[in-house]
Amino acid sequence: MASMLNLHNLTAQVGEGDEAKTIINGLSLEVPAGEVHAIMGPNGAGKSTLSYVLTGRPGYEVLGGSAALDGEDILEMDPEERAAKGLFLSFQYPVEIPGVPVMTFVRTAMNAQRKARGEDEISAPDFIKMSRDIAGKLNLTPDMLKRPLNVGFSGGEKKRLEIYQMMMLEPRFAILDETDSGLDIDALRTVAEGVNALRSPERGMLVITHYQRLLDYIKPDKVHVLANGKIIKTGGPDLAHRLEAEGYDGVMGEAA
Amino acid sequence: MAVSVSDLRDKFRNPGSAELELIARYAMLPENGQRERAFEAFALTGLPHRRMEAWKWTDFKAALKSVESSKNASQSEALPSGDHAVIEFSARGVTLPTNLPAGIRLHPRDPAQSLGNAEDVPLGAMTAALAGRVGGMDSLIIEVTDEVKAPLHIVCKGDRDETNFARVAVIVRPGASLDLIESHLGGSGFSSFLIEIGMQEGGEVRRTILQRGGADEAQAITGVVTLGEKSRYLQTALAFGAKVARIETRVTHQESRSHAEINAAYLCADGFHADLTSHVRHGAPSSVTRQTTKGAVLKGGTGVFQGKFHVPRTIGQFTDADMQHQALLLEEGATVFAKPELEIYADDVECAHGNTSGALDENQLFYMRQRGIPLAQARAILTEAFIAEALEEASESVVEAMLDAAHAFLAETR
Repeated sequence: MASMLNLHNLTAQVGEGDEAKTIINGLSLEVPAGEVHAIMGPNGAGKSTLSYVLTGRPGYEVLGGSAALDGEDILEMDPEERAAKGLFLSFQYPVEIPGVPVMTFVRTAMNAQRKARGEDEISAPDFIKMSRDIAGKLNLTPDMLKRPLNVGFSGGEKKRLEIYQMMMLEPRFAILDETDSGLDIDALRTVAEGVNALRSPERGMLVITHYQRLLDYIKPDKVHVLANGKIIKTGGPDLAHRLEAEGYDGVMGEAA
Repeated sequence: MAVSVSDLRDKFRNPGSAELELIARYAMLPENGQRERAFEAFALTGLPHRRMEAWKWTDFKAALKSVESSKNASQSEALPSGDHAVIEFSARGVTLPTNLPAGIRLHPRDPAQSLGNAEDVPLGAMTAALAGRVGGMDSLIIEVTDEVKAPLHIVCKGDRDETNFARVAVIVRPGASLDLIESHLGGSGFSSFLIEIGMQEGGEVRRTILQRGGADEAQAITGVVTLGEKSRYLQTALAFGAKVARIETRVTHQESRSHAEINAAYLCADGFHADLTSHVRHGAPSSVTRQTTKGAVLKGGTGVFQGKFHVPRTIGQFTDADMQHQALLLEEGATVFAKPELEIYADDVECAHGNTSGALDENQLFYMRQRGIPLAQARAILTEAFIAEALEEASESVVEAMLDAAHAFLAETR
């Protein structure tokens, strides 16, 4: 059976014309349903680029290879179509949306996805109940959810709001891009609990991180090392510890 | 008739056919010294045009080849008035309400008393000269003597007419207040409204304006406001433009510690032109002006912002003034002209201004699309949030309706 997320020989560039630079270079990766995979790698390896290529950010052009979610080619879809299919990205740098309160934003997004899938809109009482439950788990106050999304929130609060959105939108497949950056230990634990609560046989996740610390809380099924735009090594959770101990140079030297 | 049309015509340099028509109409009106002064002032410029510095982006002379009825008359809706009093100006003159709240007195008068220097504004002078009719009334004095809570509506709407000219003078007695809501809906080939507001000590006027004309109509809304001691003037406009439309506001801080806010949002579709022009003179110490103008323009639309703060030496001391203009060019082919000006001669003042124009933020758009919100909807949401800030001070009774109008416009055009 094909995996939930299936990347084969993916090659992609960022920028246009003379500025164009190939960042993803023949990357292959499979994440079966129910599994959480971690991607680790040094600065400039292409970790964030991979998340943008998969979610369809304008300015990132796929030159070759394939990417499929549940067996369906996603590379020709608009970003919003991919979202409606269940692809979610927790941003490394969440973007401020002035004038749009958190709850209004999430409800708009949820209903837009449902509409795209031909489903009914969520009722106001159901939405409010769901929001209250999830916000409680993430220590987000009702007052915070009435403020414009990401405007005037601390770095840690913004990351918790990313997880809040993920839990509300219940994606098929989630990519978490450096969700641990800028978090203190308590916030890291809260965020990890949120992520773990979403682990399910029906869902896959890709956790992109610099450090092994987050993986102490979110135990991955597999760890991949990304360097120079491709996966150079794959292993179990212990690989993250080896990277921490030996550094990327050590592990990469061995792979080369 | 004491004066001949040809004598009047000689006062103009190269009058076009629209001006000749306006001259002929003036000649039909009863003689009056005040009207004559206004006409003389109008004759100095004729219809304002692009070779005049203050009109270089908004050319009424070019837009008005002749005075003719609107072929595709605007069908815009007035702001909701509920059961509040409504004064209507149409091509048939003024219609007065019967349910006027206590504290407001209406005095139809032809012409209305002149309060400010409307003659300094070409279309103000024109309106002062031409608002009038034989056997009817286009002019009105509104006297406010108390704190009036209920809003008072003015609706200017033509019905495929050639012109709709109206003139209002508002006198706000000490400590009195007025919530004035104006709907300028076009419907005539050429609509022009002049309002002069004289505010005495401690008076307050909240003025909320909706402008929405047709694609073949010219529309001018000219306001001349004089602020007495500690008085407050809060203006909010939402402009959708017309073939050519201008909301011009001249505010004078006449006495100290007065406060003015002049906010506006403009939304211009293809073929629509909206001009927000203002001039604020800090003619008394310790006065405050706040100005926020936000615009969003689609392909083929034109937005114009011209703002000027004039702070004279000595009398302008301790002025506190801030002017902000931000425009969104929503598509390739949208046009925005902006000229913010601070002219400051006093040396102990706080004056700031900011002026930006650009496209919607690509990062925000991608973030929203990643969450499943389609591109067009994401654009509309961001644009609405962007302009909403400029509408915050609108009358409570219509602020929702204004946001709805902006929302509907953005939803339609996506």
